[in-house]
Amino acid sequence: MNIRETGLNCPEATYQPPVYKEAGMKNFTNLVRTMLNDYGVYHVQFNTINKETLVDAKAHPENYPTLMVRVAGYSVYFTDIGERVQDDIISRTEHTF
Amino acid sequence: MTEKACRGAALGNEIRSGTVSKVGSTKRIQELNGMLHANRPNIDITRARAFTKVYKETEGEPALMRRYKAAAEVYRTLSDNVYDYEQLVGWPTKRIRGANFAIELHAHWLADDLPNLRTREYDPFEITDEDYEELMNVHIPYWKDKTCAAQFEKYVSPELAARSQTGGVEDINNYSCSNGSHFIPRWTDLLENGFEKYYNTAKECLEKLDQNDPKAVDKRIFYNGIMEVALAIKGWAERMSAACAKKAEAEKDPKRKAELEKMADMMKQVPWKPARSFYEAVETAWCACFFLFVEGAGPSITWGRFDQYMYPYYKKDIDEGKITPEEAMELLEELYIKVTSNVWFQSTIMAYIFGGYYRYPHLDVGGLDENGKDATNDLSYLCLRAMRYAKTTSPAVSIMLHQKTPDSLLYEACELAAEGMGHPSMFNCESLYEMLAHRAAGLEGYSNYSRKQILKYGSPIGCVEPGAEGLQYGHTDSGIVNVANCLFCAVTNGVKANGVDGGFCGELVTYESGAPETLDTFDKFYAAVKGQMEFAIKECHSALVVCEKLLAEQFNLPTFTMLLDGAIEKGIDATAGGALVNVGPTMNMVGFGTMVDSVSAIKKVVYDDKEATLAEVRDAIMANFEGYEDLQAKLKAAPKYGNDDDYVDTMAADLWEHFATVSAGLKLYRAGQYCDAAIQMVQSNVGMGAMTGATPNGRLAGTPISDTMSATQQADTHGPTAAARSYGKLDFPAYTNGTLLNMWISRSELVE
Repeated sequence: MNIRETGLNCPEATYQPPVYKEAGMKNFTNLVRTMLNDYGVYHVQFNTINKETLVDAKAHPENYPTLMVRVAGYSVYFTDIGERVQDDIISRTEHTF
Repeated sequence: MTEKACRGAALGNEIRSGTVSKVGSTKRIQELNGMLHANRPNIDITRARAFTKVYKETEGEPALMRRYKAAAEVYRTLSDNVYDYEQLVGWPTKRIRGANFAIELHAHWLADDLPNLRTREYDPFEITDEDYEELMNVHIPYWKDKTCAAQFEKYVSPELAARSQTGGVEDINNYSCSNGSHFIPRWTDLLENGFEKYYNTAKECLEKLDQNDPKAVDKRIFYNGIMEVALAIKGWAERMSAACAKKAEAEKDPKRKAELEKMADMMKQVPWKPARSFYEAVETAWCACFFLFVEGAGPSITWGRFDQYMYPYYKKDIDEGKITPEEAMELLEELYIKVTSNVWFQSTIMAYIFGGYYRYPHLDVGGLDENGKDATNDLSYLCLRAMRYAKTTSPAVSIMLHQKTPDSLLYEACELAAEGMGHPSMFNCESLYEMLAHRAAGLEGYSNYSRKQILKYGSPIGCVEPGAEGLQYGHTDSGIVNVANCLFCAVTNGVKANGVDGGFCGELVTYESGAPETLDTFDKFYAAVKGQMEFAIKECHSALVVCEKLLAEQFNLPTFTMLLDGAIEKGIDATAGGALVNVGPTMNMVGFGTMVDSVSAIKKVVYDDKEATLAEVRDAIMANFEGYEDLQAKLKAAPKYGNDDDYVDTMAADLWEHFATVSAGLKLYRAGQYCDAAIQMVQSNVGMGAMTGATPNGRLAGTPISDTMSATQQADTHGPTAAARSYGKLDFPAYTNGTLLNMWISRSELVE
């Protein structure tokens, strides 16, 4: 019995799970399965913040103290990185299904 | 650029220092997270002091003896702080978020740059005035000519020294300054036996040594050194136990008092002796991890298959009612917070490439067991779930995905991914296992790994590099080759652009592969591209092997050595080849998408459609497309990598293979080893882009080149499935040092 079946009892927790979009999550897991297990791609990692959020965070960092992004192989607070790295991340392609 | 936006890390540290970062599954975790963010990254000079003291006292003694004595002195002088709320014991530094950095690898650049350390744009560090003066007056003068990077310059021509550090085509800084890195210790063995076993093994080997065997000359020094370091670790644990007991005595709250007494008791057991519980196993995982982060200067001390070797301890405690899943998760969250505290200290030029303080600890779940069956267990889920509560940047939690991995674990991983923190990394086991089978073994060879070792112990290290628990040592982020600049040089006959960062602007930076006027067929041009890649790889390799020799001779690592299976018995240090699989300097490609799209653009515009000559393209990129806007538009319209278009993907697959083949054919300093190729150099696409002129895919000079193995920014316009199909055409196992892919799925697709 893993925690997905039993749930966790954390009354003091700050985290509340979001409401997932069933179709989007299904597409997402299928993409990972296909790319890794069928196409043989060794590794992938995802940014999943909306682009507008990053643009706004660059302009108003004080409103996003704990916003994290994946740079490459590691996650970092968006406000901590230099402007040109922020711009590079914002310029990447944001995909939809 | 607003004033706020350019303040970088200093601002981030300021805005997170309040209650905003107090997140976690319990009050304890929330307080520990708050404590983490209330501290800014800071310098600790304890390790520097130990090294200077021991090296001054041991002038003229054998190199390995001095190194091991200094390592032992570091354990004897580590902080014994115990803070409120914590359950895991020990810190690598006097202050939270400190860097107990390696003076012997950093002094050469600190001599010039220490005054800027507090205010530099990337990764500023706090330092007390007292420590600043001591560094400047005592430690830096002693070490500045003795670092690996300083000695390297004595072995090579001034041109090679300059090209390999500031040219922007190749780069070796991360290898020369980050010795002691990229390692999965033998966790299973350490948890079962403790460091006492390694002390005993060294003692027995010393006693059995044939004193007439000429090898005994060096081995005596080795065994005595290992024993001294092991005893220093024992001494550290005893000091920590005393510190916990002392704090318990002063504690009024009976509940906390009992916790502190339990911590004092625990430190009498681990890490010297076997772990008796999940709690003690996590403590061993924490302290051995930071030991290595203090002894080594580099990144990527890795927990590897954490859910596998931890599970027996977890299962037993759950079955006996000694722990709940919630309590276990609380320990995991504390582990994540503590390892996040452990910031990476880098030179200013390296922070320009690797900034963000991140030190690449890594924890994997899932995968197969040694019999090839799915290995998922309850802890696999718990490790992923803990990250949703703790919300830390470290460690890189990862899922090792296999055909047999249950959908529920993949869903758990994808739900974590939907949180938007960039966690987890996702790995395909089949490719990993193939990479390990050929690790450091050259084009035709097989590594020393058995199939069972690969299945049981294999996992990624750091960001993505294939490794195996206790069986492999070697710095895996060694050389960088910027293939976007190689492509540029193929068009310009070896000349670097004007007005970009780094040296050699407007000058020959590689070699003359042919003036564009002479490259009258696509095949000739394509051969020049491959020639430039080969030149850069080989020149980078020739610089790296110098450092490999220096590190093996003078920068030894006793704790890494103890945690390698069989190294003590062999009597060989980790840096000198003590591992079952010794990985030497590796070759890491950056700018792949930019190069491929540029080759495609030239093929289409110059050779297929004949709308411009290669000389015109050269003039256009040398002019940063000023006055060549029409040509830039034509070049930009050519087919691009990442859209499932064979016109370009076929060349992508061929150039990909070329890089791996040239790299894997190169022998290393230590016998029997070959170079491994990789494509994973994190954000180096930004720093390397700043040193690269305009490229024929239409990109302007100085702007970022494509990251990792991903399609060029905004070039993959046909959706994620088409991009995935392009990536699927590449030969992944040829990159025995790993590949890294970034993708971005819009959050609004995944959550309400």
